[in-house]
Amino acid sequence: MRTAPARSAPPLLRLGSAVALPLRPRPLLWALLLLAGLLAAAASTLVLGRLGIPLADLPTALTGGAEPTQDFVLRRLRGPRLAVAAGTGAALGVAGALFQSVTRNPLGSPDVIGLGAGAGAGAAVVALVLPGVVPVPLGALLGASAAVLVVAGVTGTGLRHPGRLIVAGIGVAAMASAFTQFVVSVVARDRASVLHAYVNGSLGARSWDHALTIWLVVALAVPFLVALAGPIALSEMGDELAESLGSRAGRTRTAAVVLSVVLSAAAVSVAGPIAFVSLTAPQIARRLSRVPGPNLALSALVGALLLVLADLAVQQSPLGDGLPVGIFTMALGGVYLGFLLVREWRRGVL
Amino acid sequence: MNAATAPPKTGPARTALLLGAGTAALAGAVLLSLAVGSRPTSPLQVWSVLTGEADSYVATVVRSRYPRTVLGLLVGAALALAGTLMQGVTRNPLADPGLLGVNAGAAAAVVTATALLGPTSTVAAVWWALPGALLAGLAAYSMGSGGGGMVRLVLAGAVVSAVLTAYVEAVSLSLPEVFDDYRHWVVGSLAGRGFDVVAAILPFLAVGVLAALLVMGGLNALALGEEAAASLGANTLLVRSVGLVAATFLAAGATAGAGPIMFVGLAVPHVVRALVGVDFRLQVPFALLAGPTLLLLADVVGRSLVRPMELMVGVVTAFVGAPVLLYAVRRTRGAA
Repeated sequence: MRTAPARSAPPLLRLGSAVALPLRPRPLLWALLLLAGLLAAAASTLVLGRLGIPLADLPTALTGGAEPTQDFVLRRLRGPRLAVAAGTGAALGVAGALFQSVTRNPLGSPDVIGLGAGAGAGAAVVALVLPGVVPVPLGALLGASAAVLVVAGVTGTGLRHPGRLIVAGIGVAAMASAFTQFVVSVVARDRASVLHAYVNGSLGARSWDHALTIWLVVALAVPFLVALAGPIALSEMGDELAESLGSRAGRTRTAAVVLSVVLSAAAVSVAGPIAFVSLTAPQIARRLSRVPGPNLALSALVGALLLVLADLAVQQSPLGDGLPVGIFTMALGGVYLGFLLVREWRRGVL
Repeated sequence: MNAATAPPKTGPARTALLLGAGTAALAGAVLLSLAVGSRPTSPLQVWSVLTGEADSYVATVVRSRYPRTVLGLLVGAALALAGTLMQGVTRNPLADPGLLGVNAGAAAAVVTATALLGPTSTVAAVWWALPGALLAGLAAYSMGSGGGGMVRLVLAGAVVSAVLTAYVEAVSLSLPEVFDDYRHWVVGSLAGRGFDVVAAILPFLAVGVLAALLVMGGLNALALGEEAAASLGANTLLVRSVGLVAATFLAAGATAGAGPIMFVGLAVPHVVRALVGVDFRLQVPFALLAGPTLLLLADVVGRSLVRPMELMVGVVTAFVGAPVLLYAVRRTRGAA
């Protein structure tokens, strides 16, 4: 797996020529392009399909002057779902970028420290033990937080050592998913089926409350992200260099991991654990921008675009939109990983 | 890992002692597995059944536990040996038989069979799971091997797993009756299998064990590093290929027999290394003792913990194995 090209020594530069220094116009251009892509994908989500609002009617519908059917589709069905998809994708993208950057592990994402599996187990507990008392998303949030706390606790060093975090995460995730599988195998089939869909990450039947939750968390994270971006970029150069430049590496890393976990936990609580978005979005962002550092804004845009596109594909797929979007992102992520593998292999890097 | 081609300095007396203790532990686990269940029987009664002088009721109860005990013996041994081989070949102490996508391949095959042919019996599922697991393992191996290091192999396994898992989830969520079969299979359990399942997986396990015995010495050389092994005259490519294929056969057989069971393959090699050192000629036989002991004990715990329900052995091994892993993490120094 490759790290940011511009950080490598010149002979290893794989994408650019000798001028792979931070060229600011390039990320900016890509940000605009991604934004345009996101708008196009969002419009397609509203326009396509049996219940789609015709493109010509879209401006009137958005300003509130639509006929009742279209209004229902926009306000109840696709509007909230779209907003949740974009917000969740952005949160996952940023969370992955933070995590990969401070762990210096291109395969890292909050999922590997047990967050997704913990969320699944939390949802399973709530569905099995207290059906209808505690909302499933809340159970997922509690499960995710518990998993991360256990992981941070058992490492003995908190969130500072990425290597330990990941190994501890494997253990906690294994216990959590064993528990989820047990619950899924013993409850009645229709309830198991619903739980199973949730555990895979689904965007079906979302309301504006979900959208509000995720966007609020993303908005609240922005000031912290702005404050952290500089120190994180420094810490990518190594702890000693970063400290000698006046940054406090340990504190930066803890703050970044905490922020990453909060963002992913919010994403999990509105959409369930969605695979691979926080893994791939930062990598794509890096390849596009060719700039070192965490590329937070681009990762957010790529994450949002990925999830909106995946959800669009799921909604329009012939298998029916009952399929959780998380399954689609898992397949896509697997193919992407395979593609990377083959490319590195051809280059003889791996 | 310490470089040691010569046998470690444990001494034959210590080895013999450990061998005796391991055999005794395994015998105890077998006895417990025969004695514990919804109709408890005492070890004495089990003994009387084994010697053929018990009354027919007790004999029926105990004999009903024969298949799952034998299956536990085989699956435990296969998983432990597969883990030992994987960790030896990849020189990665966190390698696990599921790494090459074997579990996902078995699941994909079982789900496909159920979707196309309707609900399958456990024996039929075995015949589907075996080729599925083998194909997935070999696909990952052919994609990730050759020239490159172990990172590529691990990534190839992750790719195969991700794509197959997505397929399994999509199919099982679209078709309720497939989902019903799948959710019971994926937990990993020794219950409800007969001797026909044992017979179906036995040839694959035998091939795996034989191959493992053949490459033990080669793995010792490999532990020294690629170049040192080559300079010692070991054919590293051959050792690795045979080791990986053997691990795949063993893991495929185990998964087909009992469903995906986690952590036995990961944890047992660590325990064995702590006891007998790094010599694979000792690791392999001890893995064959420790694996079944662990799996049978986990199954006994699962049978007795939440009566009248039963915790599947896959759930128990996850909750036994994961804390071991967490404890190991705490003990690693530095950034690990």
